[in-house]
Amino acid sequence: MDAANSGIDRAPFELFLIHEAALLDGRRFRDWMALFADDGTYWVPAVPDQQSPFSEASLFYDDRELMKTRVERLEHPRIHVQTPPSRTAHLVGNVVVEQANAADGEFTVGSTVIMVEFRDDAQRVFAGRQSHRLRRDGASFRIVQKRVDLINCDSAFEAMAVPI
Amino acid sequence: MRNGHAEEIAKLIEPGRVHRRVYADPDLFELEMERIFGRAWLFVGHGSQVPNPGDYITTELGRQPVIMCRHRDGSVQVLLNRCTHRGAKVVNERKGHAPRLVCCYHGWSYDTDGRLASVPVPEGCGEGFDKEALGLARAPRVGEYRGFVFASLAADGPSFEDHIGPMKGNIDDLVDRAPDGTLALDAGMHRYVYNGNWKLQVENVLDSYHVPFGHASTVNKDGVQFARREGDSKGAAVIETKKKETAGSWKDRKSYIVGNGHGWTSNTTLDDGKRSSPAFDEYKRVLAEKVGADRANQILTPRLHNSLIYPNMSIMGLNIHVRVIKPIAVDRTEVTIYPIRLCGAPDSMNFGNIRLLNVTHSAASFVQTDDLESFVRAQKGLRSNLTDWVDISRGLGHEEPDRELNATRGLATHEMVVRAQYKAWLGYMREAA
Repeated sequence: MDAANSGIDRAPFELFLIHEAALLDGRRFRDWMALFADDGTYWVPAVPDQQSPFSEASLFYDDRELMKTRVERLEHPRIHVQTPPSRTAHLVGNVVVEQANAADGEFTVGSTVIMVEFRDDAQRVFAGRQSHRLRRDGASFRIVQKRVDLINCDSAFEAMAVPI
Repeated sequence: MRNGHAEEIAKLIEPGRVHRRVYADPDLFELEMERIFGRAWLFVGHGSQVPNPGDYITTELGRQPVIMCRHRDGSVQVLLNRCTHRGAKVVNERKGHAPRLVCCYHGWSYDTDGRLASVPVPEGCGEGFDKEALGLARAPRVGEYRGFVFASLAADGPSFEDHIGPMKGNIDDLVDRAPDGTLALDAGMHRYVYNGNWKLQVENVLDSYHVPFGHASTVNKDGVQFARREGDSKGAAVIETKKKETAGSWKDRKSYIVGNGHGWTSNTTLDDGKRSSPAFDEYKRVLAEKVGADRANQILTPRLHNSLIYPNMSIMGLNIHVRVIKPIAVDRTEVTIYPIRLCGAPDSMNFGNIRLLNVTHSAASFVQTDDLESFVRAQKGLRSNLTDWVDISRGLGHEEPDRELNATRGLATHEMVVRAQYKAWLGYMREAA
């Protein structure tokens, strides 16, 4: 059902997104990964309105296995592109519960994300709309899919090492 | 250096070293744009990017903006993307379809072969106005091999055959993997930029020496890289962990040069016959059905890792893709990477290739990002003029002929390929355009 005006309390969803952002800013990548369901995916498309992560290139498309490789690499002492490491500040806002399916406990939550990254004397900004498909898990949620549509997704990027 | 005297330029390249100015001198960069990118055969795009008349892509050859489009007669045209009226870039989208290419400024309109079709208010044109002479400039020479389109911005010079000929087998190696015998660059692209010279990327594609250290963060505690291909359970053995040194199998890899700056590296030791997954097995079955089991086995036995078609393109045989290097400034380079769709292969196989390319070569990948860091740091170091020389002497004097392949062979952890690139570089650079 369309939940945008359904009176669903958005606070728990907002708190979850704020918590997720804090884990990323704290470089707690393993804890961040644990937010994802076993079948969870993290997707950052490389073109606007990208239909599929399979038929077209993406900036990120990690299932849990690839995510684990990514996190292990982020923890590796010789990850040159993180020497020195990135510092990031995420801001998550304009949170809207877009879909809610009470029966199977799945929700789609839209939000705007801005991430400022500083590394090696340079600062840059990533911004876009993100969509979280969340599955209720006890008192909290697990991420079934996180999709981040950067406004400049189809531009040429300097190396990106940390998830947005 | 601004005048580009041959003897001055020749002093920058010695048998086992090159001068740092080759990477850091803006005047030399300007000369490179004239003398290398202004006349070498450059990769433009692939026919599959413009399947129908009116389809176009835009790209750059060196710093020249160009349109590659399909004309009504089926030919692929390479046109300069600059209005002949007042100079505006005519097509501003990266790809699209248009029966006429219309300038946004005054509405001059060009046919897809570059001919000037119409100008608004023609009665205002002067008497000597020659529509025929005012078509979009075209690349003077265009060549195509198995869909790969190359162009030279010079009217004269070595023929397409002379330049590309020795590398046709490397293109075949990739294209033959498609059951339908053709491939498509229609699965999007990865784009990255770095603050470094274009040659840092060119040199890197055939450099096997950097892998165990430069990509240490992609190697697990057993010295093995993560699985990078559909159907593999693990990647290449890169480090011998007990001895804490580069694995013997990695040290044995070979590299080859064939003149013109081109070269390639041989396969990694992945072909243990264990490659299998539902997608890969189905692909192998389809390929064998088309070409026969023996030929399919031959095609699927990896022989090539990376191939460099100097100066601006490489083909990767492992995480299959085509890479295009675009110099922007002496210390700024953009790279475009196209995933490959093997026509006739099951979607699941192509999807696997596309998905794994994200983790090896996107701007956010596990592999490419550490290379980019190395390029950026190299450029920072090379700004210093307290030390002039860059060492490329590994394996100097240990090259040997490979008569079977009609090539010169060395170890892939040596720097023979880089020396070959500078030989070609000097060939272009010492001759005034």
